[in-house]
Amino acid sequence: MPKDHDKDVYPEPPSRTPVEDRQSSLPNPALILSKLFYYSVDLPVTTFRGIQSGKKSHYYHQKFRRVPELTQCQEGDYVCYYEAEMQWRRDYKVDQEIVKVIQERLRACQQREGPSYSQNCYKELQQFEQVSKAFQSRYGDLGAYASARKCLMKQKERMMAEQHAFATSST
Amino acid sequence: MVGMSLLRTAAAFTARLNPLKRTCQSSNLLSRTVARSEQVVVRYGSHGKRMFIIKPTDFYDRRFLHLLKYYILLAGIPVAALVTFVNIFIGESELAEIPEGYEPEHWEYYKHPITRWIARTFYDSPVKDYEKMMALIQMEAEKAEMRQLQLEVRRHMREKGDGPWFQIQTLDKNLIDHSPKSSPDN
Repeated sequence: MPKDHDKDVYPEPPSRTPVEDRQSSLPNPALILSKLFYYSVDLPVTTFRGIQSGKKSHYYHQKFRRVPELTQCQEGDYVCYYEAEMQWRRDYKVDQEIVKVIQERLRACQQREGPSYSQNCYKELQQFEQVSKAFQSRYGDLGAYASARKCLMKQKERMMAEQHAFATSST
Repeated sequence: MVGMSLLRTAAAFTARLNPLKRTCQSSNLLSRTVARSEQVVVRYGSHGKRMFIIKPTDFYDRRFLHLLKYYILLAGIPVAALVTFVNIFIGESELAEIPEGYEPEHWEYYKHPITRWIARTFYDSPVKDYEKMMALIQMEAEKAEMRQLQLEVRRHMREKGDGPWFQIQTLDKNLIDHSPKSSPDN
């Protein structure tokens, strides 16, 4: 299978699971399905890899330049608004993927550890909590028609609330 | 309910003991046993007794399903074969770092060969789409600015009146005939 991403940057959870003690004598359906998939799809595909044409084509990850953000645009400069909006949308997608990666790690950890996950996966839990709190506070209830402007206004509200809380707490 | 079942058993009893249809005169009248008739094992040389089974027509349903399968598979099988052969013989691309000084074409950012072909043949590059959108926005922005300017200038011209707009052409002074005005009481 072609490699997708750098495994050192986003390390996948370890594939060797600890020895499981099965309480029930029923066959594990996940095992049956995985064996089925292996023999029906995986094996033929790997044997057919040999007949593929010699020259391999490559695909790349697109790199985008950073453009001025919405706060750095002149008022009425709609082209600048558009570029900032597109950049914000790309960043939104990236943040969604980051949250998904953290979620995947937590899920894998929970699957590995079983009933004692709240104690053994403490790090992953904390990381997930932090990341999801940050995501919620930044992109939280923007909705389906989210835009850079709405996100900016949300940030403004957040800062105002913070200042208000600071002012009321200090007096 | 109980009365109904009683009635039913009574009806069956009377039917069995019907004098018009008395088949046997033997002693097993009042009991429920049936006389054993001679039972012979019948062996057919064919598939058994041919039955004419009466059921509602399934012609239309079967015709519909047949046509459905036909039209789906008419395009489905070639497409499935194409996709299978592309996956087996051409295969997906591999991820690589962008080499120095090389600008990949816009279709080289996709993995599957069919997606790459579609991006290469039918679609414009996303960079081009971006630029097209920015051009449209620029044109609309310029139009909006022009319209705002025009309103502003209109306001000024109306107020001050010394510009080329809102000039109403009047007749030349020399064309006025002043002669009737010299004798007013005519």
